Amino acid sequence: MSSSIKVARYQLIYPGLLVIAPWIVLAGTFVINLLPTVIRGGPNPTKALASIFAFMVFVGMLTIVRSLPFALALGASRRSFYLGTVTLVVALSAVYGLAIAGLQAVERATGGWGVSMSFFQPQYILTGAWYLTWLTSFVCLVLLFVYGTWFGLIQQRWDTFGLLVFVFGQVTVALVIIFIVGGNHDWHRVGHFFTTITAAGLTGLLAAVAAALCAGGFALIRGVTV
Amino acid sequence: MTPVISLTRLTRRYRDVLALDEVTLDIDGPSITGLLGRNGAGKTTLLRIIAAQEFASDGRIAVLGGDPVENEAILPHIAFVREDQAFPKFRVRHALNAASLFYPNWSAELARELAADFELPLNRWVGRLSRGMRSALGAVIGLAARADVTLFDEPYAGLDAVARRMFYDRLLADYAEHPRTVLLSTHLIDEVSGLLERVVMLDRGRIVIDAGADDVRGAFIRVSGAAAAVEEFVAGRAVLERRRIASQETAVVAGGMDDGDRPWAQELHVSLEPLSLQQVLIHTSVQAGRPPKEGTTV
Repeated sequence: MSSSIKVARYQLIYPGLLVIAPWIVLAGTFVINLLPTVIRGGPNPTKALASIFAFMVFVGMLTIVRSLPFALALGASRRSFYLGTVTLVVALSAVYGLAIAGLQAVERATGGWGVSMSFFQPQYILTGAWYLTWLTSFVCLVLLFVYGTWFGLIQQRWDTFGLLVFVFGQVTVALVIIFIVGGNHDWHRVGHFFTTITAAGLTGLLAAVAAALCAGGFALIRGVTV
Repeated sequence: MTPVISLTRLTRRYRDVLALDEVTLDIDGPSITGLLGRNGAGKTTLLRIIAAQEFASDGRIAVLGGDPVENEAILPHIAFVREDQAFPKFRVRHALNAASLFYPNWSAELARELAADFELPLNRWVGRLSRGMRSALGAVIGLAARADVTLFDEPYAGLDAVARRMFYDRLLADYAEHPRTVLLSTHLIDEVSGLLERVVMLDRGRIVIDAGADDVRGAFIRVSGAAAAVEEFVAGRAVLERRRIASQETAVVAGGMDDGDRPWAQELHVSLEPLSLQQVLIHTSVQAGRPPKEGTTV
């Protein structure tokens, strides 16, 4: 058995974080949105599906902070830990994306669960065919997980100071972009880009970002100490 | 024969702190070696580098003939049990299952026996274990792994005396059946001294003692008796410490005794007592902060 497969099995010994928790979070937000819709009546276009995607950032961070030290103590290499974990999450995200696409189909078929609630059909994104919903969900889940691992990796390598630099660095980059775009009066171009890009094009863009973050994470973990 | 662990001028710097200062050490196997030293001496850093959890700033390291860093042929043959080990959200049985995945020589039978002996609750979350139970879990993993290189860093800090005795007995019994290279860092020196074949002592990142355990035990002698007699006996020897109360004096001298020393001590009515490993550690630590005297090395 390869080391990466051992790591994947290690991550699934207790599947609470990677398998159970994301769906508990999603089920919770679904119920929280369903109850007022039932009481007040629809339509209720909600963006609460984002909860499972946002939670994947947390999952990525915890996977590094909590699982890595013991795996290294047991003789796993950093490389096999990262490859095994990311490969597992890619496989799980493919299944989760399929589940989201399936639930979206059910939501459409039942008229929004009988109360006109658009939980699995957020506006702008995930509005196309089922396979595009699956693909975009899948890519977003992987992207946000890998993004979360960066928080864990930076925490392990450079402690809280590193995390602060990482967060402030991102804020600074965002402000610089806003400043440049605003200064050039280019907001209409940005809007045009995001409203005209196809779902497949956007998914491809996100996949490229995920791949870049993955490569960066792989480089980061090589220097992690526990 | 290639040493199981070979360190050459190994150095680890943390900004302005020198945790390890050109440590050179070869450990052959199978053997049980005690890694001794005060807090902050560099013991944990050394073990972490051997286990490839930390990186050396300079120098060379070889474990089982190769550099352990990211070496998947070597890493599964190193078990590192540390007191402050962080665990994922695991129950005890999950932690044992995880260990069984990675260690090629893992003994599930031994793990079960040890868990029962230490009364480890297999279904309890590791995060809810007492300090002693966590130590016991580490000890079970370290022993049942039967790894060629087993590193224990204060593995039984939270264990009571009975459980510690059990750990020593099981370690010796399993070592006899499955010899391997064990490196044991501890503060309970006298308690483990019977286990150790070799002693390596670190002080401020440098090796100050590297010798067989029996050699170390005989290397420092406490001489007690009437002050004049003690002074006569220790004249010309390296005296590490003198204490005088009224007319009685106790002196600690370095270097073993020869055949003529004991009859002479009897004649002078002074008693000779070899220092325990722990007392040697204390004296060597104190001496390490002073200029070296001739004849004080072991």
